[in-house]
Formats: sequence, structure tokens, C-alpha cells
Amino acid sequence: METASELAVRLTKASRKKFWDVYNFVEWPEALQTDVWYMPPELISLYGTPAWDALTEEQQKRLSLYELGNFFSLVLQGERPLVAGLVDRLYSKGNTTSVNEYLHHFVDEENKHMVMFGEFCNRYVGKVYPEKKIVLPREYAKGEEEVAFYCKVMVVEELGDFYNLAIEKDERCDPLVREVNKVHHIDEARHLAFGRVQLAELFNKFAPGWSAETLAGFRQWLGDYLRASWGDYYNPTMYRDAGLADSYELRQMAMSHPACAEFRKRASSKVVNYFIKTGLLVEEPAL
Amino acid sequence: MQEQEIRARLRDWIVKHSKAPGKANFSDDTKILEEGILSSLDIVEFVLFIESLRGEDIDTDDIEPAVFTSINTLYTAFFTQVA
Repeated sequence: METASELAVRLTKASRKKFWDVYNFVEWPEALQTDVWYMPPELISLYGTPAWDALTEEQQKRLSLYELGNFFSLVLQGERPLVAGLVDRLYSKGNTTSVNEYLHHFVDEENKHMVMFGEFCNRYVGKVYPEKKIVLPREYAKGEEEVAFYCKVMVVEELGDFYNLAIEKDERCDPLVREVNKVHHIDEARHLAFGRVQLAELFNKFAPGWSAETLAGFRQWLGDYLRASWGDYYNPTMYRDAGLADSYELRQMAMSHPACAEFRKRASSKVVNYFIKTGLLVEEPAL
Repeated sequence: MQEQEIRARLRDWIVKHSKAPGKANFSDDTKILEEGILSSLDIVEFVLFIESLRGEDIDTDDIEPAVFTSINTLYTAFFTQVA
């Protein structure tokens, strides 16, 4: 099997070939088209619930813009610690030259994504939605923090890519929105390829040294982390901005609705299958 | 909403979401994260609940993790201005 270091050589070549300029890749219009979807309805967090059915199509389309703004914001917010973590890992003692070269591209591309999402959200939604996470200090077993870091990378990127692909392909959606998702997906495909191999290598290296308790605790955390990540898609502030009442209750209703749970399961299947295949998880977490 | 009701609702939320054994046995002074009654991943959900009680958003950039120490610290940080 190809190692992360060998894969990094190929990915660096691809990144250089597909190098793009975030400041000139699109002309940002003064305003977006109206009466279009900004996100396919099937991806919207309320879809399949009575609250969704009670909205007019105009309200649904308006919500789709705020859902997209929330989606771009949460990817941006996930990319901030990702870039910080990648920079911390640049020129680490264990890195090969090819891994360092690729990490430079990884950081560059993630930075461009943040520029692009920030521009979109500020222009058309009026803000980047803040994250509500509070980072608390904790102790890790040897290598556990490293494995957890790449697990977080995989979660933010795999869930994000599920949306990117669906939006990019959907002809009902605004063309600019489709283009932004397409550009993101092209870079993310490389990041995911690297993340999958790198995470599996790290887990195989460190997990054999963990106690059964550490491993069980890690698996519990990973399932909880994935579930908590989904929580970010049901943002009460976003519902309020879209003009919907009782936004917190709406979130609670949608998160516990079977149609939404089924959607989360389907949208997570790729990353969950990967976690199970590598041994990071032993069963599907309840989402 | 009165102080006692806010404290009771914070407590109810914690009890409902905690995975810790004996989770109902804590006081307003108990260190809810240090004692493992809530985990760091519960905090996002908890912040949204507190926002719904306050009726306004919380800027998490402006708050220290120590705010989440106990029901007392939570009440002081988030409700003494608006209660």
C-alpha cells in the first residue's frame, strides 16, 4: 500500500497543476440571483419535517441561503484549527521532505477556502457565523492528540465534501454557489486522500500502545465528536436570520426528527465506514 | 425569569445530558466539567440552551472556559445582567 510520504509526492504535483488564485477565480456579483436554490432542498436541515412542509417555497429558498451561509461558516470555522494544526506539524521531526512539501499546499489551499467562504458569507449573508466551541485542556495518551487531530480533519472534510458534491451537481442551485462548491471539492479530494492514509498510519503506530481504557475512551470521544459536529448544522441563529420563529425549539425538533437522523446517517456513511475499516470505531455511532 | 427558575432549568439540562453515574447528585458549586458531569463536547449544546434562556446569542470568543465551572459561575456570567 502507498505510504503517506509516497502519496504526498503525487498530491504535491496535482496541487501545483491545479493551483488557483482565490482573489480572481470568480467575479463576485453585487447581489445573488433571486428565486433560486442556494442549497438543494434535500440537504436543508429541516427537510422532511412538518416545519419544512409548513414553509412556502419562497421561505424555503430564503432558508437555503442562510443554510449555505451556515455551512460555509462551519467549514471555515473547522478549517481554522486545521490550518493551525497543520502549521504546527510542518517540519516536525518525523516528517519526510515530501510530506512537508505537501503540507505547505494543504495549508495554502485551506487558507484560500477560508478567504472564499469568508467573502461569500460577508457579502451575501452579512456575517460569518461564529462557532460555539470552547477548547478545554485535557491529557492525552502518547499519540492520541495526533490521531484526534486527523480524525477532526476527516470529519470536517468528509461531511463538507458530501455537501460540496451535492451542491456542485445540482442544476437548481445558483451557478456561483455551484462553482464555489466545485472549487472546494477539487482541493478537498486531495486533502481527503492524504488524510485517510496519514490517519491510518498514525492510528496503527500509536493505538497498540494505548490501554484498553484509552482506546475505549477515544472511540467514545470520536462518536461524540461526530454527533456534536452534526449539531452545528442546526444553528438557531441561522433559523432566526432566515425569519423563522422559535429557532431553538426548531433545532431541537429537527435534530430529533427521524428523517433528519436518517439524512445524517447517510451523509456520514463514507467517513463512518472509513473509521470502522481502520479500527478507529468498532460500530456506527448513533447520530 | 427568576433566579431560582433559571438555576433549576440549568440543572435539569445538565442532568438530562450528563452521561455520568450519579449525575443528579451535585450542588450549584459542583465543578461540572472537572467532575465529569458534562464533557467538553456537551458545551456547544449547552451554550445554545443558555442562549435560548437568555434570548440572545453568546459570543464565545469573549468568555473564559472557567465560566463553565459550576451552576454558580454560569448564573453569574450569563444571567446577572439580564435576570
